[in-house]
Amino acid sequence: MTKTIAMAGKGGVGKTTVAALLVKALSQKGLVLALDADPSTNLNQALGLPLDDSQTVGSIREKMTEDVSKGTLSPTIPKQEYLFGKIVESLAESRGFDLLAMGRPEGPGCYCASNRFLRDSLDKLVHDHKYDYIVMDCEAGLEHISRQTTRDIDVMLIMSDPTIRGITAAGRMKKLIEELRSNVGRAGLIINRVRGDLTPEMRKAVEDSGLEVLALIPEESGVSDLETTGKAVVDLPAESSLQRKVQEIVDNLSL
Amino acid sequence: MEGEFHVDIGPQYEGEVIRKENLYIEFGGPKVSHRFELATVKSADEIEHEKVEIIGPDIGDLQPYDEEKGGGSYPIGILVDVAGGELDKDAEAIIERRIHMFTNMIEGWYHMNQRQDVWIRMSKECHDKGFASLRELGEIYILLYTSEMPIIEAIQVTIITDEKKVAELMPHALEVYSARDERARTLNDEDVDTFYGCVLCQSFAPTHISIITPNRIANCGAINWFDGRAAAKIDPEGPIFAIPKGEVIDAIKGEYSGANAIEADKSLGNYDRVFLYSAFEHPHTSCGCFEAIVYYIPEVDAFGVVHREYRGETVIGETFSRMAGESSGGKQIEGRLGTGLEQLRSPKFIQADGGLERIVWLPKDLKERFKDALEAKGLYDKVATEDDVKNVDELMEFLERTGHPWLKGEV
Repeated sequence: MTKTIAMAGKGGVGKTTVAALLVKALSQKGLVLALDADPSTNLNQALGLPLDDSQTVGSIREKMTEDVSKGTLSPTIPKQEYLFGKIVESLAESRGFDLLAMGRPEGPGCYCASNRFLRDSLDKLVHDHKYDYIVMDCEAGLEHISRQTTRDIDVMLIMSDPTIRGITAAGRMKKLIEELRSNVGRAGLIINRVRGDLTPEMRKAVEDSGLEVLALIPEESGVSDLETTGKAVVDLPAESSLQRKVQEIVDNLSL
Repeated sequence: MEGEFHVDIGPQYEGEVIRKENLYIEFGGPKVSHRFELATVKSADEIEHEKVEIIGPDIGDLQPYDEEKGGGSYPIGILVDVAGGELDKDAEAIIERRIHMFTNMIEGWYHMNQRQDVWIRMSKECHDKGFASLRELGEIYILLYTSEMPIIEAIQVTIITDEKKVAELMPHALEVYSARDERARTLNDEDVDTFYGCVLCQSFAPTHISIITPNRIANCGAINWFDGRAAAKIDPEGPIFAIPKGEVIDAIKGEYSGANAIEADKSLGNYDRVFLYSAFEHPHTSCGCFEAIVYYIPEVDAFGVVHREYRGETVIGETFSRMAGESSGGKQIEGRLGTGLEQLRSPKFIQADGGLERIVWLPKDLKERFKDALEAKGLYDKVATEDDVKNVDELMEFLERTGHPWLKGEV
């Protein structure tokens, strides 16, 4: 069974860094598909992989739609097969994990058929490659979750900074995801850049959000260094406190 | 088969994926610019039965993929030449597609895509087991072709890795592919017994069903008859399914008993007839996301076509979105037809109503896009655009001046 872990959270809270570390940690245990579903961040960069903008699922779909409307796509090659081939070609393969960038969501026009083919292709990809884990780095708008994957989410990790507003936003995100998806197994909160302990006000906000706190990442863990320098998590020292925190999350959730 | 080859062969290996970590060498794929596979039906005297020829360096001569240095991706051309009394040109595409299945049946081999996108990988384990020559691959192809396709009486396989040679032969392969596509485009509704239905849009339009035939693409423009066939084969119970064509009730209007039956069933009983080639009588229902609308202009008794990307007002003063709002939702509306754009090239496009010759207005973009089709019917200079006319009065004057065949009664 493939376990699907979704990372969500607004920009600048360290979501992509933690997602990359999670990919690394899980790739020690099994094969991981890393889905970069946030067009505004670069999971590939955090994972130390080269960026190729032309090869996102969104651009493949756009290209296909364009070729179809121009009549330049071979009429005899089924679009399902064409799309699947292009998706496999766009996988960035690495040790223990593959990365797939979703790119931008669709423009105007009808996407019923192409999104259907896309969902089927992603399902086939997961099935054929026998991934043990899927780690999705999701955007706040959650477009990709609602449209392009049919999978249930086993664990949803929502990141926040240590502010009341951040935690409240995380709670709203949880509700939104639950509305969009038929099934979310477990939802948890990771609070980043925590100085000392949570204030009583923050504890109250956490309680109201309906989320359980899975981890508090201390300010000095080095997340912000990575985020400000744009360095890959692979450049982190092997036994950094951040890496240990992520490993703890993996252990606590029995992933 | 065991003992004869270095690895096992069978359908159990078809789902096997070879990732980079496990890659020994790859041929074709996105990193290689020269790659193709081609099956050709020849006469028996042109074929040396069971011959395998390798042109260019073999697996043992090539640097394998290296995790540090990369590389290990090479050009490939695969020629499968066959002969048989029962074989004709149409069999070539089917025989060629078997390369995909047969390669995937080999333990440690992985095949993706087709034609000039071919991508083949061989695993490290396969190399460790002693698979060191493409000749073995060719021999396996011959074994599988002759055992699984008895229609093939003689076969020879040529595998080319020499980049110059692959580049030299590729243009011919591309020509063959486009000739095949051309033949597919001329497939007509008369030639098949099965149409396909698509209800992907029923969440928006519960009474809408797209009927997809060789001469009629789905309204969204995304699914043609070949796509329908592929989808229905994978998941016959899914949203895209086969429709037996049934009896031809009216060949000009495009009325088929099979299409009527499915229309009645899927439209929740709202409609029991559909004319596939008419915008007037029992026109095809429209979902919400057709690429274009064919709309009737009563003053000139002809049609205009407007597509989704056109933002302005049409010659009748209505925008695409306004018309789309009125025409969508799975209704049959006489004189308003949601359509895929490529339908304009179909020989059966509103044939009951006069076909392309009855089109008098198109947005400039569409007129350019379908220039060849319009020119073929001598219509290119006679169809008005937003640049030529602003309203129906101007349109009438324009058509008079240019001598549009529909208004002159020549159609």
